[in-house]
Amino acid sequence: MTQQITTPTPPVAPLPSKNREFRRFLQVLFRSPGAKIGGVILLVTTIVAIFAPAIAPFDPLEMGVGSTLQPPSAEHWFGTDDFGRDLFSRIVYGSRLTLRIGLVAVFISMTAGVLLGMVAGYAGGWVEAVLMRGVDVLFSFTETLIALAAVAVLGPSLTNATIAVGISSIPFYARVTYGAVLVEKNKEYFKAAQAVGAKHFRLIFRHILPNILSPIIVVATVGVSVAVLSASALSFLGLGAQPPSPEWGAILAAGRDYFRRAPWVTTFPGLAIAITVLGFNLLGDGLREALDPQQRRS
Amino acid sequence: MTRYFIKRLLGGLFTIWITTIAVTLLIHLVPGDPVQIMYAQSQSTTPEQIEQIRRNLGLDRPIYEQYIMYMGRVLQGDFGTTIRGNQPVLDLLLVRLPNTLLLAVTSLIITMVVGVTAGFFAAYKRGTWIDTTLMTGAIVGISVPSFWLGLMLISIFSVRLGWFPVSGTNLNNLVLPALTLGLANAASVSRLTRSSMLDVLSQDYMRTARAKGLAETLVLSRHAFRNGMINVVNMLGLQFTYMMGGAIVVENVFAWNGIGRLAIQSIFQRDYPTIQGFILIFATVVVIVSIVLDLLYAWIDPRITYN
Repeated sequence: MTQQITTPTPPVAPLPSKNREFRRFLQVLFRSPGAKIGGVILLVTTIVAIFAPAIAPFDPLEMGVGSTLQPPSAEHWFGTDDFGRDLFSRIVYGSRLTLRIGLVAVFISMTAGVLLGMVAGYAGGWVEAVLMRGVDVLFSFTETLIALAAVAVLGPSLTNATIAVGISSIPFYARVTYGAVLVEKNKEYFKAAQAVGAKHFRLIFRHILPNILSPIIVVATVGVSVAVLSASALSFLGLGAQPPSPEWGAILAAGRDYFRRAPWVTTFPGLAIAITVLGFNLLGDGLREALDPQQRRS
Repeated sequence: MTRYFIKRLLGGLFTIWITTIAVTLLIHLVPGDPVQIMYAQSQSTTPEQIEQIRRNLGLDRPIYEQYIMYMGRVLQGDFGTTIRGNQPVLDLLLVRLPNTLLLAVTSLIITMVVGVTAGFFAAYKRGTWIDTTLMTGAIVGISVPSFWLGLMLISIFSVRLGWFPVSGTNLNNLVLPALTLGLANAASVSRLTRSSMLDVLSQDYMRTARAKGLAETLVLSRHAFRNGMINVVNMLGLQFTYMMGGAIVVENVFAWNGIGRLAIQSIFQRDYPTIQGFILIFATVVVIVSIVLDLLYAWIDPRITYN
């Protein structure tokens, strides 16, 4: 949870809309080796998550499929835990939880944050003052504290941890959106639309939103990695997924009690988290570069 | 400068004031009856006792009265008592706060030294294998969960090599948690430093300095490093806040007896007075430190005027 988003509003071009432009965009994106690796990691993770029942050799929750705390072997690739559960199968199924947590949390923070930022930036005046001042206050609390407070209120569970992580990043998305809206509001196309009498709703959703989408998408991609790290930290602390859930942070937390005797129980889920998060970070970096008009010229 | 200081101070007070309101509302956002939840574990509590507790906590009054009561007590240094054990919350927090601050500041030093050095060299050697290696390390670094890094450090340095104790709270035990928290954040600081240094290195005054025949070490130390540092100093406040947030997790990995560890315990025990006190203390510390660091920044960089 100590991770931080280091992306200020990136100077990015609008997302390409036409099919041909989009193909060209993908070409530029995957020219960078980082984005390629990131893309492959995420593709593999997604396939593993979708086909988990076919890939996992054992039931992730069934105890005693092997003897307890067995080191990695041909039969149990990642070894077994203290209940004799197959660790490989648990981690395979855990990928489903991790992706769901990351995407749902980002969906929550993005939807709420973008709405807040758009309303504040569009409305201006006292609405802007109140909303952005509130965002500033939340910002100084750090995401960790907001997530903890939210779990303290909701009570520990995987769903609540996901919601808490989602809430904790709202201020960040609000700021990015707000900054982008301020820029768009002063552009001529917007003033023209305003002058011909477009309604608020149309101005916001047809004119501003499409033009600010690309910085938001870059931030959201990196945001999934932040969300996955935060949620797994909450589970590690015992405030997220509860046993016997095969959530990676929860597996790590359980393995902590005997990690001297059986280091594999903590090593593999940690690696799984790090690799997945790396995938989102690499893809996010690649997206930023590909959408950055300055980089594109070279 | 004075005006800027007053403005920052008022902003800080505003943040803390909002926090006191949020903290009072917190207990009311809890789904169900907070008193029932808090005492769910001790079955011996009778309905009469529950009502008594509700009255003691002031939860039977209207919410604005509760807020005024809470503020009145907090201003007198009374943060209430813990649900189990009836200990004064403020005392518990203040005993542990120095441990958290020690961890956060030590980690901050590690973060800045490692992160800035790596970022500086990556920028200076842009496009070489040094740059690639350092930045690959950085992106891997920001992807590794801190609690896992902590466990791996324990298993290498404490269990296998026996250099440090596994857990506890004294100076000897500070090394591993501070390294964990420091390195986890150094990765992102090195990325920020690199991009800020790249800006500086492409400035005209760099070319001028080289053109007039200044030795490369002087060009770097006087011109590049100094100007690059301005952004780095500007980052300190935010980084400190991240250290405080990260400390909550790392303290729990190493059983470091700080306020973060207390906070997690009190969330488990549904000990709302302690949770409220923790949030308030955390916010206050973060606000004070960032004001101090901002003033430091304004003092270091004379070009900055705040009016």
